[in-house]
Amino acid sequence: MKKTLNINIGNSIIHIEEDAYETLTTYLNEVKAHFSSSADDFEIVTDIENRIAEMFTEILSRDQRQVVELADVQVIIAQMGSVKDFEQIDEDATGEIPVQDGIKKLYRDTDHAIIAGVCAGLAHYIHIDERWIRVIMLISIFLGGSGILAYIVMWIIVPRAVSRSEKMYMRGEALNLQGFFRNFEEELAANQLMKRSGGFIREVVSALDRFIGVLGKTIVKVVAIIIIIMGSCFLLSLFITLAVLLGIWDANPYEFFPLNIVSAAYLTQIIFAFFITLAIPLIALVLFSIRVAFNSKALNKTVSYGLLIVWLAGVMASIFYVAKVTTEFKEQAEFTQVRPLAPYPVYDVRVDRTMFLNHEDSLRYHITAERYAGKVIISDDHGPFTTPSRVGLQIEKSDNGKVSLTQNYSAHGKTFAMALKNAQNIEYGFSQQDSVLNFSPKLHLNKFSNWRDQRVVLVLRVPVGTKLNIKKDVSYSLDRYGSWSCDSYDDDSNDFRVWEMTDEGLKCKE
Amino acid sequence: MIAENTQTQMRKGILEYCVLLIISKGEIYASDIIAELRQAKLLVVEGTLYPLLTRLKNNGLLSYNWVESTSGPPRKYYLLTPEGKEILNKLDMTWMELSYAIETSKQMKS
Repeated sequence: MKKTLNINIGNSIIHIEEDAYETLTTYLNEVKAHFSSSADDFEIVTDIENRIAEMFTEILSRDQRQVVELADVQVIIAQMGSVKDFEQIDEDATGEIPVQDGIKKLYRDTDHAIIAGVCAGLAHYIHIDERWIRVIMLISIFLGGSGILAYIVMWIIVPRAVSRSEKMYMRGEALNLQGFFRNFEEELAANQLMKRSGGFIREVVSALDRFIGVLGKTIVKVVAIIIIIMGSCFLLSLFITLAVLLGIWDANPYEFFPLNIVSAAYLTQIIFAFFITLAIPLIALVLFSIRVAFNSKALNKTVSYGLLIVWLAGVMASIFYVAKVTTEFKEQAEFTQVRPLAPYPVYDVRVDRTMFLNHEDSLRYHITAERYAGKVIISDDHGPFTTPSRVGLQIEKSDNGKVSLTQNYSAHGKTFAMALKNAQNIEYGFSQQDSVLNFSPKLHLNKFSNWRDQRVVLVLRVPVGTKLNIKKDVSYSLDRYGSWSCDSYDDDSNDFRVWEMTDEGLKCKE
Repeated sequence: MIAENTQTQMRKGILEYCVLLIISKGEIYASDIIAELRQAKLLVVEGTLYPLLTRLKNNGLLSYNWVESTSGPPRKYYLLTPEGKEILNKLDMTWMELSYAIETSKQMKS
C-alpha cells in the first residue's frame, strides 16, 4: 500500500504516488530554476509541464493504470532530459547554477569520522576545516578534559546524518537534484575511502556509536523511572499528610508547631492550598516522566490547562493565606509581673521538667488524680514539630537588697488588644521550694491559642553576696543571652557550678 | 574540452537548422519533432527542444496553433512563418556552403 496524491499538472488531474511526486517536484523545481534566467521561462516550463501531463496520460491509458509510479516519472525525466542535458545545448547557460545554501543542521558526519563524527559534523556546521575543530578538541583534553565530556555529550545528543537529505542538511546544501547527484558521488567516494582506511577500528567505533546511542536513551529512561517512583512516593505521602491534617485519623495535629500558627478558622483552606501547590507540579512531573519512559501519549490539552489553572489558584490561595497569617504578627504587646521571693543566702537554680497540664490537657491524656497521684509527667520533646518556646533567664544584682523574679510576657497579634490577649494566654511554671528555684524550660499556651511568638523573659534579682548553684541543664535551657560562660560543665547532668553575685554582676566561683 | 565545446557549438547550430527543416514540411507537434530528430540520429532530450522552439517563435520564425488533444491538454502545433521560410532558405544556402567547405577541406587533406 502506498500513499497517493492528486496533482494538477498541465490542467490534468493526475493520481501520483508519494515518492514519484517527490521526484517530480524536485525535477520541476530544477527545471524552473534552470530557466529562471531566461525571459520566456514561464512559457517553456508550461510547455514542459503540459508535455509531462500528456505523457502521464499516455502511460496510464497504455498500461490501464490509475496511478503514476516512480518508474514512470523516471522514464519521463529520461525523455525530457535532466538540467545537465539542457546545459550542454542551451546557449544561455553560462555556467553551473551556484550551490544554494539551504538550512544548516547539526549532525554527526560518520562518513568523515575519526571516532563518532562529532568534530566533522561541527566543522560542517560552522563551515571550517574539521582539522581545526580536532586540534581545538585535542587542546581542550589537556585543559581539564572538558573536551572529552563535551564530545561524549554531543555524541549522545547530536543525531547521526543517516539519510542523504540529512547529510545535505548537515552541509547546508539545497535539497535539489543537483545536490542529490553531487551528494551521491561524494558518498561513493567516501565509501571507497572508508574501505581503504582499515575496517576494524571503524567497526569497533560504529559498534560503540550504536552502544552510546542506546546508552543515552537508557539513561534517560532510567532517570525517568526513578523520578516516577520518587514522585509517586512523595505524592502518596502528601495525600497521607493531607488525610492526617484534615483529621481523618484520630490525631490532633493542631498542637504541632507549623499548624498552630494558623488560626483554626482557615486552617483547612490553607492546608488545601498548600496541598494543591505542592501536589500538582509533582503530578505533572510524574506524568511527564511516564511519557518519557514509556513513550506514551501527551496529556490531553484540556486536562493540562485545567491542572495549570487549579495550580495557579492554589498558589494564589497560599499567598493570600500566608499574607493573612503574617498580618497576625503585626502588633506586639508585653506585660511584666514582679514576684517577691523568700531570701536565702544560697539558692539552687534548677530546671523543672514537669509538664504543665491544664484541665483540657488532663482530659485529653486521660490523667486522673488517682492514677497519677504522686507522679509527674516529664516533658522532653525536641522534635521538629515542637512549638518554639522562648524562655530566657537573666540573673541581675538587686538594688534594694530584696530577692525578686520579674516575669515579662510578650506576644504578637493582629491588633494590640489581640497581642495582649495572646500574651495573657501564656502560662509559665515557676516555683520556689525553700532555697530551690524551679524554672520550667518551656512556656505553655492555653487552649485555642495560636503561636504568636510568645516569649517569657525572666529576670532574677538577688542581692550582692548571694550564692547560686546553677545546674548544667539550666544554662542549656534558659540561658538565651550567653552570659553564663563560666567554663564547660562535665557531661553529668547533675553537675553544677557555684556563682556569686558581686558588685560587678554575677561571677563564677570555680 | 575544446573539442567538446566545438561539438556543442556545431550541434546547436545544426539542431536549429534541422528543427526548422522538420517544421517546414507542415504543422507538427513538439514530440513528433523529437521523434524525427531521433530518427535522424540527432539525439536530444525533449526538454532541450522547448526553449529552442520558444526562442524561434519569439524571433518570429515560428508560430503555433492550439489543437485539442484526446490525451491530455491541448497541443501546440508549430509551423513556419514567412519570415521563418526566408531564414530557412538562407540557412539552406549556408549549409551548402559549409558542406562544400568541409568536403573540400577533407579532399585537400587527403
